[in-house]
Amino acid sequence: MKVLLLYIDPGSGSYLVQMIIAGVLGTLFYFKNMWRRIKSFFGKTKEKDLPKNNH
Amino acid sequence: MPGHITHSASFRDPSGFVFLKKGIVYRQVNHSYAADYELLMQSGLYQRLTEEKLLIPHTEVDENLTGSPHWYKTLLPQQLFFISYAYEWSFSQLKEAADLTLKILEIAIAYGMCLKDANSFNIQFHEGALVLIDTLSFEKYDASRPWVAYRQFCESLLFPLYLSHYLKTDLQKWLVVYPEGIPVALISRLLPAKSRLSLGSWLHVYLQNRIRSDNPVGNRSVSFTREKMQTLTRHLRSEVSRMTLSGVAISPWSNYYDETILGGGYLHEKEIIFRAFLEGIDFGSALDIGANNGYFSKILAGAGKNVIAIDSDHQCIDSLYRSVCGNTDGTIIPLCADIANPSPAIGFRNTERPSFIQRAKADLVSALAITHHLALGKNIPLERIAGLLADLTNSYLIVEYVPLTDKMAQQLIKVKSQYHSPYDEPTFENSFSHYFVIERKSRIPGTERVLYRMRKC
Repeated sequence: MKVLLLYIDPGSGSYLVQMIIAGVLGTLFYFKNMWRRIKSFFGKTKEKDLPKNNH
Repeated sequence: MPGHITHSASFRDPSGFVFLKKGIVYRQVNHSYAADYELLMQSGLYQRLTEEKLLIPHTEVDENLTGSPHWYKTLLPQQLFFISYAYEWSFSQLKEAADLTLKILEIAIAYGMCLKDANSFNIQFHEGALVLIDTLSFEKYDASRPWVAYRQFCESLLFPLYLSHYLKTDLQKWLVVYPEGIPVALISRLLPAKSRLSLGSWLHVYLQNRIRSDNPVGNRSVSFTREKMQTLTRHLRSEVSRMTLSGVAISPWSNYYDETILGGGYLHEKEIIFRAFLEGIDFGSALDIGANNGYFSKILAGAGKNVIAIDSDHQCIDSLYRSVCGNTDGTIIPLCADIANPSPAIGFRNTERPSFIQRAKADLVSALAITHHLALGKNIPLERIAGLLADLTNSYLIVEYVPLTDKMAQQLIKVKSQYHSPYDEPTFENSFSHYFVIERKSRIPGTERVLYRMRKC
């Protein structure tokens, strides 16, 4: 199988990487946003400072 | 149709190609790219990118100049003064090229298009700023697909920045060996362990390398979204913006004029002679060799000329770039190039990317306080130095002779056992007389140095 790698476009696999990266970043953003909302609930951060985008 | 020459680097993209006719550069759009080209022009994307000076503007020529059966349109782009490559750029230049690519991608997506190419060769200096020159880099955006040029962007732009950032040294010259970018398998072995602690480098380098190894068939059915694409591009831009060379040791050339005997009066006297030499000669472009902080490049550019300023010292070029970036009144293109070992010709048939010497022709060459470094420091005979400078200039040369008695020349020969002798003023003049006629000669007051203005025979 190893030899077959020579015939594969070097870009192969980059789609999967981007899926994972976008997933990881999206999840981190979600938790970061949630943490800010919790802090906001306890009055440490103003609600208006929170980012609106929460994907 | 006779009379056109296809550009040696323009053969990979089936969408079209660049060609030269009567010394003018054109770009042909092929039928296969017609839909994407019309989308670029009709969607408002072209107008937005050219207004913001991110993409090279062009006009359409309603004529098939190549006689090609695939012809759809002929574009006449604004002509570039000089083509340079990422292995001649400083850290800040590379960083700006990476950011420019991502910025264009973000704007393109908003207009329903995407960048299908993201390599450094498509970015060039034009009127004081970096611009994308490949008008055919855009394609219709399909939100369900990730970015097709992600790997290319990483290897050709992001990874060289990672290397410089983590190793705190300029490593762009490695791109001569890896013109299409640093392979992910290589960079994952080169970066220091601390890079694993950063989410960005972990995702883009180590994870990508792992997936590359584990998933040879890759690109299996995936579903992406516009939001995911935006998250990715935003993250890449923040990665690029956190790259820095701060903490790198200051090079001895960085404050050369300020901290050596060459400061103050000497520089002022030299400037007076230099300006007098420029009077009464006609030139459109200049090449300043050993430009250092660009003191004399700026004088040349001040006359409204296009100037290529080169120095082997990366920090000097980086600082010069930051000081002239965006200056459109007389353009300076600062490049990292060692005139004793300039960039070679590379790529397919060694013609895809011409050597620096093949590209760097100018009407006037300025070689101030450089010949003693070549003659005494690198043992290059004076006649060969004169031959090199004659190759580079179309007409004029302003060159400085630094005698052996000069303090800086003494430093060069202090630890040397031998150099080509005689090294004196008559030999200097005789060596240059094989290629040039000496038109003006002036001793710099307070020194034994001599400035010459010569014209190529």
